[in-house]
Amino acid sequence: MATPNQPDDFETVPDAVVDAESKGFPVVWLLPLVALLIGGWLFYKTESEKGPEITVTFNTAEGVEEGKTYVKFRNVNVGVVHTVDFTEDLKAVELAITMDAGSKEYLTENSRFWVVKPRVGAGGVTGLGTLFSGAYIAFEPHSKGKKRRAYVGLETPPIVTIDKQGTRFRLRADALGSVSIGAPVYFRQFDIGEITDYKLADDYSYVDIGVFITAPYDKYVHKGTYFWNVGGVSLSMGASGAKLEMESMIALLSGGVAFETLPEHLESPVAEEDTVFELFENRTKALARPITETATFVLRFEGSVRGLSVGAPVEYRGIRIGTVKAIELGADPQNKGIVGPVVLIDLEPQRTESYEDIDEAASSQKSISRFEKDPVGRVGFLVERGLRARLQTGSLLTGQLFVEVALFPDAEPAVMLTGGRYPEIPTLPNSLEGIIASVNRILDRVEKADLQGTLTNLNALMVSTSRLASTLEKDMPKLSAELLVTLKTAHGALANLEATTSADGEIGSELQAALKEISAAARSLRVMAEYLERHPEALIKGKGAP
Amino acid sequence: MRARDAGLASCHTCGLLLHLPASGHTHCPRCKSPMHLRKPDSLSTTWALLIAAMVAYLPANLYPVMTVVSLGKAQSDTILSGVIYLFVHGDWPLALIVFIASVLVPLLKMAALLYLLISVQRKSHLRNQQRTRLYRVVELVGRWSMVDIFVVALLAALVNVGALATIEPGAGAIAFSAVVILTMFAAMNFEPRLIWDYEGEKNGNAEPAG
Repeated sequence: MATPNQPDDFETVPDAVVDAESKGFPVVWLLPLVALLIGGWLFYKTESEKGPEITVTFNTAEGVEEGKTYVKFRNVNVGVVHTVDFTEDLKAVELAITMDAGSKEYLTENSRFWVVKPRVGAGGVTGLGTLFSGAYIAFEPHSKGKKRRAYVGLETPPIVTIDKQGTRFRLRADALGSVSIGAPVYFRQFDIGEITDYKLADDYSYVDIGVFITAPYDKYVHKGTYFWNVGGVSLSMGASGAKLEMESMIALLSGGVAFETLPEHLESPVAEEDTVFELFENRTKALARPITETATFVLRFEGSVRGLSVGAPVEYRGIRIGTVKAIELGADPQNKGIVGPVVLIDLEPQRTESYEDIDEAASSQKSISRFEKDPVGRVGFLVERGLRARLQTGSLLTGQLFVEVALFPDAEPAVMLTGGRYPEIPTLPNSLEGIIASVNRILDRVEKADLQGTLTNLNALMVSTSRLASTLEKDMPKLSAELLVTLKTAHGALANLEATTSADGEIGSELQAALKEISAAARSLRVMAEYLERHPEALIKGKGAP
Repeated sequence: MRARDAGLASCHTCGLLLHLPASGHTHCPRCKSPMHLRKPDSLSTTWALLIAAMVAYLPANLYPVMTVVSLGKAQSDTILSGVIYLFVHGDWPLALIVFIASVLVPLLKMAALLYLLISVQRKSHLRNQQRTRLYRVVELVGRWSMVDIFVVALLAALVNVGALATIEPGAGAIAFSAVVILTMFAAMNFEPRLIWDYEGEKNGNAEPAG
């Protein structure tokens, strides 16, 4: 519009209205401030949400994918694997994991990681869900312990996870038996726990087995509880016959452990965590009273001890009082230079504790020590009264022998020998052996007897008998004729007698009349007696008029 | 000669020619619209917006622009990871487009504004025409940088099939849109006439600029 040629025209141009100066802080500068604040807040938020970075080492990264494998706890994602790498020595795989911020408190030295993928084991199939969703890394948080950022992952899932309530115990066994990790623990055949681990003791002297009993069954484990192995099938042949023990099919496959508390131990306190128990081979051994005190005796047998085994019972009138400890070959003291079987037996006084009370009064009176206090002294006392040991057949089927200790008052007197390693109880031969011995003795006597003389005598006897017989034969016709005559005479006499005694006969009729008389007399006598009974005064006054 | 040299300006709204003081806020006596020879505080406002945009550019690229939740699996992608994903999977033309539109253009825009601001502040009079053209390009391109945001917004609204697939905009998307908006405002607030204001100072001659 404006041209340089018309400068004057601009004079007419009006002035713009001047506004009041608003000098203040330019509001627009708040924008970078706000941007900074928002950026800073975003940064802080993601950094604080990011959570700790950890590394977990595994043997292989099977099923693990970068950015897609999650770390889960109770099936909730708590982290993600962002890098899979090798360790420097290429021996393992290192997973770099970004955990959620909330997990910071739970990443301690007691926390555990393992890969969950489908697994087939004796106890069943686990991790089937991961067939579709892919493997994930399970995380077991633990708030106690030192904080940690580098972990070694478990190659197999732990048997007991933190969400299981229960108690852990340790078992000690001489041998592992058929126990395997994950094998069940039975209580009255209820599957209530699992074997968590096992290892050799540091000095290799026993096997240390860890068990986990789930709540609420863990409170059934008392201090006096017995654990035993139920794995597989246990077939035992002993003096008491064959015995087959089996808990369940699962236990047959994977082994297992059972426990039971004897009624007398129910009062004992409930066992605490990590209490150590002994693991027995089988139920019989577990529930037997624990034998802690034994007294060893020596038995020397003359015959064979075939069929006797170590562990065979020692019985007294059918009650077990001890165990065969060892079977050795030893010198026979009676016959120098000859060896014979020597059996060591352990008498177990604790087995008889409850029975001993009966004759306590008698024992104290006779100042004889009680069996469980002084077994050697007591046995010595009994040996003088005929206590002997002998081998008996426990089972005819198996031929197993056991040692019987019994009182034989008729036995040859003997005393207990106390000179050797152990006191010696005199023995008697086996009952079968005894029978054989007596039969032998009879045969010996028969053999030694004067058979020839007896036979000669017998011959003479036969000769005289035959002579007697021939004499009898000669006199026979004469004798028989005489006998016939005698018989005839007797017949005539008897006929006579019959005739005189018949009713029509002489004697018969008289006898009949006499009997009638007696009968009448008896009747009148009865009448008189009755009258006198009613009227005793008649004896004095006489019979009055009716 | 510039209108400014004569102290004259026409109202931006009603076109009334008025005498204006060299600085300060004024308004048109006829239509009451605010009037000034040059945009007031143009440089400092542009600076502020540009700095805000630059601050926002960092989270825009560091944080995911969207999270795709598909069949229970969530995947977050930043602009760059998206570009890399496309490139790795062979869609390199698409990757190029996204890279240029979402990474390069905002960056160049900010660089251009920065250059303009600094050159104006240093009263440079070099390559005035090119600088003016640069400014025009920056203003023109500005509104087209929102393509990414449109895509995310559309996807988030459309793909919402519950558990099957869901797309959620991330923090990066908000930051990115902030970058675009802030650079647009910065370009708007920049006074291109300032590029030419110092031309005369060296020459001493007041010549009309085309």
